[in-house]
Amino acid sequence: MATVTDPPTREVRMGRLERLPWRRVILIVLAVFIVGTVSIGALRTLTLPEGQRYSADAWRDFVVLGIAQGAIYALIALGYTLVYGILRMINFAHGEVFMLGAFAAYFFVDAYAATGFLDRHPLPALGILLVVAMAASVGVAVLLERVAYRPLRGAPRLVPLITAIGASLFLQNTARGFFGAQTRGFRKPEILQGSWTILGSEMPRIRVVVFLTAALAVVVLTLFISRTKTGKSMRAVAEDAEIASLMGIKVDRVVVTTFAIGGLLAGIAAVLFALTFEGVNFSMGFRPGIAAFTAAVLGGIGSISGAALGGLSLGLLQAIGPSLILTGYHIPSPFQLKDAFTFLVLVLVLIFRPGGILGTGEAEKV
Amino acid sequence: MGPVPLRSAIGGGLIGAVVSIYLALVGLTERFSDLELVGEQVTLGRVLLVLPPFVAAYVVTRPRVVAGVRRVPTPAHGAVAGAATGLVSIGAFAAAIVFAEWFDVNRVRQVFIAASPTLIEFVTFERGLAAGIVLLIALGLVSGVAGGVIRNASPQLRSPLVLGIAATLLMGLLQRIIPVAMRELGVEPDFLYEPSGGLTLAGGIGVFVIAVVASALWTRSGPAARERARSTVREQPATRTALLVVLLALLGILPLLVGAVISEVLGTVMVFILLGLGLNIVVGYAGLLDLGYVAFFAFGAYALGLLSGATLNTSAGAAAPAFSANLNFYIAVIVVVILAAGLGLLIGAPVLRLRGDYLAIVTLGLGEIVSILTQSRWLAPLVGGPQGMRGITDAEIAGYSFRAPQHFYYLALAFVILAIFVSWRLSSSRVGRAWNAMREDEQVADAMGISTTRYKLLAFAMGGAVGSLGGALFAVKIGSLTPASFEILVSITALAVVILGGLGSIPGVVVGALVLIGLPGLLREFEEYRLLIYGGVLVAIMVLRPQGLVPNVRRMRELQEDEVTQDAWANPKTEGETEETYAAVVAGGRLGAEPEEEIDE
Amino acid sequence: MSDGTHLLELRNVAKHFGGLYALSGLDMHVNPGEIVSVIGPNGAGKSTMFNVVTGLYEPDDGAVFYRGESLVGLAPNQITRLGVARTFQTVHLFPNMTVLENAMVGQHCRTKSGVFGAVFRPPSTLREEERIRQRAKEALEFFGSRLAGYRQEQPANALSYANRRRLEMARAIATDPTLIMLDEPTAGMNPTETLELRDHIVRMRDQLGFTVLVIEHDMRVVKGVSDRVIALDYGRKIAEGTYDEVANNPQVVEAYLGTKAAG
Repeated sequence: MATVTDPPTREVRMGRLERLPWRRVILIVLAVFIVGTVSIGALRTLTLPEGQRYSADAWRDFVVLGIAQGAIYALIALGYTLVYGILRMINFAHGEVFMLGAFAAYFFVDAYAATGFLDRHPLPALGILLVVAMAASVGVAVLLERVAYRPLRGAPRLVPLITAIGASLFLQNTARGFFGAQTRGFRKPEILQGSWTILGSEMPRIRVVVFLTAALAVVVLTLFISRTKTGKSMRAVAEDAEIASLMGIKVDRVVVTTFAIGGLLAGIAAVLFALTFEGVNFSMGFRPGIAAFTAAVLGGIGSISGAALGGLSLGLLQAIGPSLILTGYHIPSPFQLKDAFTFLVLVLVLIFRPGGILGTGEAEKV
Repeated sequence: MGPVPLRSAIGGGLIGAVVSIYLALVGLTERFSDLELVGEQVTLGRVLLVLPPFVAAYVVTRPRVVAGVRRVPTPAHGAVAGAATGLVSIGAFAAAIVFAEWFDVNRVRQVFIAASPTLIEFVTFERGLAAGIVLLIALGLVSGVAGGVIRNASPQLRSPLVLGIAATLLMGLLQRIIPVAMRELGVEPDFLYEPSGGLTLAGGIGVFVIAVVASALWTRSGPAARERARSTVREQPATRTALLVVLLALLGILPLLVGAVISEVLGTVMVFILLGLGLNIVVGYAGLLDLGYVAFFAFGAYALGLLSGATLNTSAGAAAPAFSANLNFYIAVIVVVILAAGLGLLIGAPVLRLRGDYLAIVTLGLGEIVSILTQSRWLAPLVGGPQGMRGITDAEIAGYSFRAPQHFYYLALAFVILAIFVSWRLSSSRVGRAWNAMREDEQVADAMGISTTRYKLLAFAMGGAVGSLGGALFAVKIGSLTPASFEILVSITALAVVILGGLGSIPGVVVGALVLIGLPGLLREFEEYRLLIYGGVLVAIMVLRPQGLVPNVRRMRELQEDEVTQDAWANPKTEGETEETYAAVVAGGRLGAEPEEEIDE
Repeated sequence: MSDGTHLLELRNVAKHFGGLYALSGLDMHVNPGEIVSVIGPNGAGKSTMFNVVTGLYEPDDGAVFYRGESLVGLAPNQITRLGVARTFQTVHLFPNMTVLENAMVGQHCRTKSGVFGAVFRPPSTLREEERIRQRAKEALEFFGSRLAGYRQEQPANALSYANRRRLEMARAIATDPTLIMLDEPTAGMNPTETLELRDHIVRMRDQLGFTVLVIEHDMRVVKGVSDRVIALDYGRKIAEGTYDEVANNPQVVEAYLGTKAAG
């Protein structure tokens, strides 16, 4: 039988310094600093002398740009949020699902551009574009799931994440190898060029179309998730995969469906993006992918409305934020820093409100 | 075909065909079409043509469980099944080639830029379509048969043969190092290597035979002898010290052996070993997936530049940075490392409470922020913007400059040895134990008195310090800095190095760096496909061998366990029977599978 | 047994998850040198109470005092350092660390060598490491030969179930606590092991000088070790006293068996 040799230390007391809620203190200081910096910056930007200030038109353009961009982010973000809800993993390669859909659409456009098909029958042509992109994206997404993610279903969380990163790299560079490093031009059909006059201002047609398409997609998706049997299964598996399978739901099939839906939405986003920026390139999925993920977290990951809200918010933040805040501090070329701004937003959201705007996320350890 | 189902052969063959087509379309096949490995005929491109049928056949002809009984195919079975698989594999590929030719290669090229007449020529061995395709199919068939036969040859034959093939190919790939080293040692390599190419035919055969024989002897000697050999190395301090001395001596004379060009590559390898060691502390020891490691690398490089008197590149010539000091390299380096540790605390602080995936994304974001800032106009007065800095110190001591590749190697080696020492000491200490516990079960570690906050911050600080050392060294090596060197690619490369080598394993980091940096460095043809290979490697390792090439024994057990048991307690929603019963059942279920089940006395 | 000042005291503690109140208005205390058992049906809040005391949850209301100091808001590692150790309902060892290393982790909060010590290994660090090993071994040897010898170098998940439970207790013992909290220590054990563990619990008090708070379902153990028994249901205390008093309390019987049985 063992006996205790040294008397154990038992008179430990907790010092006053240790009791301080350090984390809360630091957070409060940080919050004050940020609010201060932002407000002061914004104020200074808005009160700049006449020649340096942004005009009302410029702001309006920013807003329109932000909303349209945000709509695209929302579509991609939905893919992230759906997969995260089901598998609790970030599908790092979702940006590449998006990119490959864009390429598929490009090749179709390229094939028919010469014949003018795009311009003569824009609506069916765009429809086919969407179908082609969606098919490609869905194909890639499903293949990804099958080859890279399913074998790792039960593994420690680090493993699927690294696999996803690897898959993302692999797909990006496969596209580079297949299609070359040059950006391929994607011509807008005539019907989408120019602008419409809405509410008294000129809005680029493409941006309006982007927004409407995305909004429609979100509505359809919400209805699908809430009304159909498949949607219910998806929600069940997202809640508790174990119990769902005990209830007779084929979890594997639900997972594939989720990836497929994510792919579908990414395909739509791909066409919209390519039409907006008139180009496709093998690396086009990376930054939008991260931005979309930021959007999903911003809104509250795991929730559809969160992704939509997050997408719009991020789009607006990206479009308005750097110009509004940084110009006040005379920082040159604020728009150059828009991506840095996005990442900063992500970091701040995860520090202050990891659940996102809607509070549904679960980024923190319990 | 014995126990091998036809379905499987066809399926395997089709997958092989897909791989072949992929390799061709992504450009690898053609890119390596000129890289001679053995003689003039065996080029890497051709190897890539016959490899898919071989591998497919090898996998398809594996032993199978038929009606509850494990059946091993005979070599004859293997030959037939391999033939079938190989035929499907190469046949489908050949069909694709013919189709492309019929459809007009140049139209295919509008989509897949690698599809070209040159590719077709290569694939048909420059003998025209008909003869070429026949030859191709024949080779594929033979390859498939070989795969099937080797797979099911007696175990004593199998490993040696596979190793022999691998060794020959590897020696062929090392064609830029070994002949150079041999010449330095005064040995003419003509018998082994062609003047500017791979192994000579005789050399190739020789290597193959030697590898096979050596491997066969090793296998033959029986497990007991092997275990004896291994334990002598592991346990006898005398043998260990002797090996260590030999290793150090070898490292010491290496630059003289391999010449300047390769020393330069080795220098880069060293820089990435440093990065890998640092990241290994964060990811491998503490279990924190940091995807923004480039931040420390960039910080180390630029900070060193600023502290040691470098100047900014501007269109008007050199300019002084907004802040700079003119310290001696060795003092500057210490300051940089300390500051980087501080940066590590700054980067670690926001991510303390985040779960794995979020941690990864946030650190990625932070890394990207640093990356963006290095090229921004805003910070250009400090770090030079897109044009960067120049005039970095060459770490001179008593007139001896370290800029030349062969000299830089020694500087880098010193720092690498230091970093290895520190890493090793950390891992086998109280700190390392705390990291292990934290990594295995964070909440329980916290409950057991380990301040997870402190140890996470410590990991980031130490990791940052080592990473910045890598950056500082890099700056000295190149002498000037541009933002192009500080992109996310660096973070991913460092991660790939650590993962490939094995999380938490110091030798693993070295091996990982050698493979992922050394090989592409030596063979320029790989340069273009580096990222593709990294991505493929990451996926393959995670799916096939998550513990890496040189695993840390402890991690091997860890990465193969089911994650469910770890998390079952950490996410209690309500107290209830389902939660605990499930976890207990899982625990019980796993116990049932334990081979070391003991009976309590 | 009570000398007037409680070692651990909970006052009006409440904790809810969403709409579900796991604990509400919980008052209880433990005096130095006592062995107190906490019983109650599943879902009564017993483990939640443990989690609140040890800092894994923050209470939504009420106060928790240990030696007169409030524990609310402290991190679990701080609470452990104050002298409160615990085991878990489902065993949570560090599966890939060896048995000895698991126990050595327990000593972490009583030692302090850091990076400097790790890298330079001065004599003070070496002494401390030796001391850690020593105390860990002592903690393991509390369970006799079961966790001794070659077993100490085996990975923790190679142990049998009962030995894992013992290891978890040894790890808690290695933190040199004053109060040790055991969550269903005998769950899953066979009768022999259960009785053996019952004796271990008493020895923890008699030999090691700990105060023990145990959550238990097995009434033989509860009867055999407890100075006092506290019964919980729906997150509040429904009975308190000696084993016999509590076992015959009609509210307790009803909680376990339903109304008819109580009548």
